Amino acid sequence: MTGGVATAERVRRTAVGMAAAEAARAGDPDWLRARREEAWRICEATPMPTTRSEEWRYTDATRMIPLDGLAPAFDDENGPISETSPPALQAALIEDGDAAGRVTDVDGRVVSCDLDEELERQGVILASLRDAARHGAEGVEALLATEAVPASDGKFPALNAALWSDGVFLRVPRGVSLDSPVRVARWLSRAGTAAFTRILIVAEEGSRVSFVDETLSPDLDAPALSCTAVEVFARGGAQVQYASLQRMGRGGVHLANQRTLAERDATLDTLNVALGGSVGRVDLNARLLGPGAHSDMLGLYFGDDDQHFDFSTSQDHVAPNAHSDLLYKGALDGRSRGVFRGVIRVHEGAQRTDAYQTNRNLILSEEAVATSLPNLEIGADDVRCSHGATVGQLDAEMLFYLTSRGIGRRQAERLVVIGFLGEVLSRLPLGGVAERVAQAIEAKLRHG
Amino acid sequence: MPQNEVVQGLELDDYKYGFVTDSEPVFRTQPGLSADVVRQISARKDEPNWVLERRLKALDIYDSKPMPNWGGDLSDLQATLDETYFYVKPQEQMERSWDDVPDNIKETFERLGIPEAERKMLAGVGAQYDSEMVYHSLKEEWEAKGVVFDSIEDGLKNRPELFRKHFGTVIPAADNKFAALNSAVWSGGSFVYIPPGVRLETPLQAYFRVNQERLGQFERTLIIAGEGSRAHYIEGCTAPVYSTDSFHSGVIEIIVERDAFFRYTTIQNWSNNMYNLVTQRALVHQGGHMEWLDGNLGSKLTMKYPSCYLMGEGAHGDILSIAYAGDGQHQDTGGKVVHVAPNTSSSIVSKSISKGTGRASYRGLCKVYDGASNAKSNVECDALLINDTSRTDTFPYIEIDEKNASVGHEATVSKVGDEQLFYLMSRGMDEAEAMALVVRGFIEPIAKELPLEYAVELNRLIELEMEGSVG
Repeated sequence: MTGGVATAERVRRTAVGMAAAEAARAGDPDWLRARREEAWRICEATPMPTTRSEEWRYTDATRMIPLDGLAPAFDDENGPISETSPPALQAALIEDGDAAGRVTDVDGRVVSCDLDEELERQGVILASLRDAARHGAEGVEALLATEAVPASDGKFPALNAALWSDGVFLRVPRGVSLDSPVRVARWLSRAGTAAFTRILIVAEEGSRVSFVDETLSPDLDAPALSCTAVEVFARGGAQVQYASLQRMGRGGVHLANQRTLAERDATLDTLNVALGGSVGRVDLNARLLGPGAHSDMLGLYFGDDDQHFDFSTSQDHVAPNAHSDLLYKGALDGRSRGVFRGVIRVHEGAQRTDAYQTNRNLILSEEAVATSLPNLEIGADDVRCSHGATVGQLDAEMLFYLTSRGIGRRQAERLVVIGFLGEVLSRLPLGGVAERVAQAIEAKLRHG
Repeated sequence: MPQNEVVQGLELDDYKYGFVTDSEPVFRTQPGLSADVVRQISARKDEPNWVLERRLKALDIYDSKPMPNWGGDLSDLQATLDETYFYVKPQEQMERSWDDVPDNIKETFERLGIPEAERKMLAGVGAQYDSEMVYHSLKEEWEAKGVVFDSIEDGLKNRPELFRKHFGTVIPAADNKFAALNSAVWSGGSFVYIPPGVRLETPLQAYFRVNQERLGQFERTLIIAGEGSRAHYIEGCTAPVYSTDSFHSGVIEIIVERDAFFRYTTIQNWSNNMYNLVTQRALVHQGGHMEWLDGNLGSKLTMKYPSCYLMGEGAHGDILSIAYAGDGQHQDTGGKVVHVAPNTSSSIVSKSISKGTGRASYRGLCKVYDGASNAKSNVECDALLINDTSRTDTFPYIEIDEKNASVGHEATVSKVGDEQLFYLMSRGMDEAEAMALVVRGFIEPIAKELPLEYAVELNRLIELEMEGSVG
């Protein structure tokens, strides 16, 4: 286990750097400082996950998430590494549709944050998480890395809770509706760096909000890590949509721990799109905490070359009469690998649960590999649960139908793939997202 | 909650096979496992040296492997094994004539209905009592056609080349911890050889009985189904109810040669103090067809995943699995299909019923290796939950390395619906009858594949459970 030792050494140096920077700035309030210290203790006590553990069986974290070679992307002493507004990020922002608010994050630090003035008057808070924590914004101390993604969740949640440099805090007051999404664009500029960020969303009773979280980078000649923890609270009757779009360049390693907590009659839908980067790993846990809670969980991935995408999802039905429905679809080309591991857990007493889970994979090349592990753990008897998984190739009949109508073979294949993946996008109508993802898929198909 | 009262009887409360026979073994090893115990077993069997060496090597592998940290709760198993008799020899020799079997053992099997079944319609019958086969017979017409149906020990003695060629090739000792244990201390089990082209019209049956308290039973079965042959083998298991735990860990190796068909049926009805950790695997060659019909009703914990390795083009594997988990039982069962060759196909159908505090887990693997083009596999799991304390899980693993493959998995979990019960009761059935009908309907797709007596037996068990509930 020499690799493990080397990793710990490296991260310890990173942490020391961070601790020194913090001391210099003396910025964090005591509670946050204590929380980071505790997280760091947990991180040190927790070994890197290995492929011997079920959760990491198909993703070799030591090899694919090489913490050894990474320095913090943001360094308080030296400031951001890159210029604040790279052209590719600008382009992404311009492509965006309407937004209730926009946040730009470069190398793990929020560089701009704008919110519609009317919403600001209604009490909506959209802020850099670092500023919000330091200025004592309501809810941050109580909810940051406590209930949703605490350091005790594992190696990477602990690492993130100890090292996070910035992120986004969004709080929507009771009954307030945001008609267009809050859009976040994150940019990681350099190989060999790691950005640790967090998102905390609190939608109070009866509020309504959608949130688009996009991660970008240029193509990199060596790994760069974007490690993020996403905590979403939907209070009674709130309606929340959270969408993560991962469009990093090659070399990008995307690691996200997402947890959604839906209370009574809340709707909390998520979408995870993985198109870019070299390695993507998403751990999504949806907790249905109140009767009438509802979560649609959508995922879409399209791998080519050596891309490796690993999704680990769980649907925790804690309360009775809740509903969750998961659909993850992936197309795999080149030598790419897609892994889906999902579990529906119906806790004791969660009667009249309706929970579904579907994973469908389309294999487009000889070397691509798909692994699907849909699990059910049912501890209540009055439930309706089902899951399904398929792995298959392009439907010969569909291709024949299209080619017999004069469409070229390649174009026909494209249409079938777009149709296959499009089902996911059609289920979560979110301004501008479907179009952008469709464009990115088209680009990948052309590239292939 | 009238429904709860109704289902109270849905359990194997009156386990009718739980009696103990008063029999004195002619030999047994001291409790616990050691190289010395392994040597004693081998010496008793007068084995060639290579077999002893294999056993000792397997013991090393067993010692080096950790206890599985998945599946069922094995935390008390080591303590159980320390107290377990690994070898208990019930009589001096195996008999060919039922009349020569000692009276007390004979009575045991009479009570279990074995000779009766034989008289009816079986091609051959074997009976294992504790660690040894006490009886083995095969109808003359099949013996004349070259069919071998014998104890594993006699297989080794009488067919040494065939035995050595295949033994341990389907399931090597290093496959898993309990396969290693079995490879070290195996005793009893069947040796079956079906010559090419021979088609057995009636099944072979082996019956496994544990009588000794704190016994470990480690039967080892090797089956070779020759090219174009066809046969069906049925295994049944029961044991007395003791306050201490017993242990059963069999290894079943099957080779299905080209274009052969083999069906292996298990009706496992161990008492609820039995750990049942079994490895069963078939290698299926070109055009061959293997079918596992796996019924798990008894035991405290069963971990058993019959497998089909589809090695030759066009090979086909079917696994039908039914599990019943009553109070305190955990059935961790399922199946594995591994596609190695092109144009192979497989199907797994699993049905489970969890009642009381019972837990039924489906655990399965569908693996398609690169090169197994045009492989097709379908997995369906349905779970029925009876009480709010019942539990069910589904853990399918799907690993596809091949582009031209089509694999599907579907699972559903449901309870016996109030509407279903209401519908039937509104037509004059009482609640118990209605419940029994729904449960029967649920297991029907599997019960219909069973030989008649077993289908009747399975249905009778469910009837029995319902009866108790009405009074």
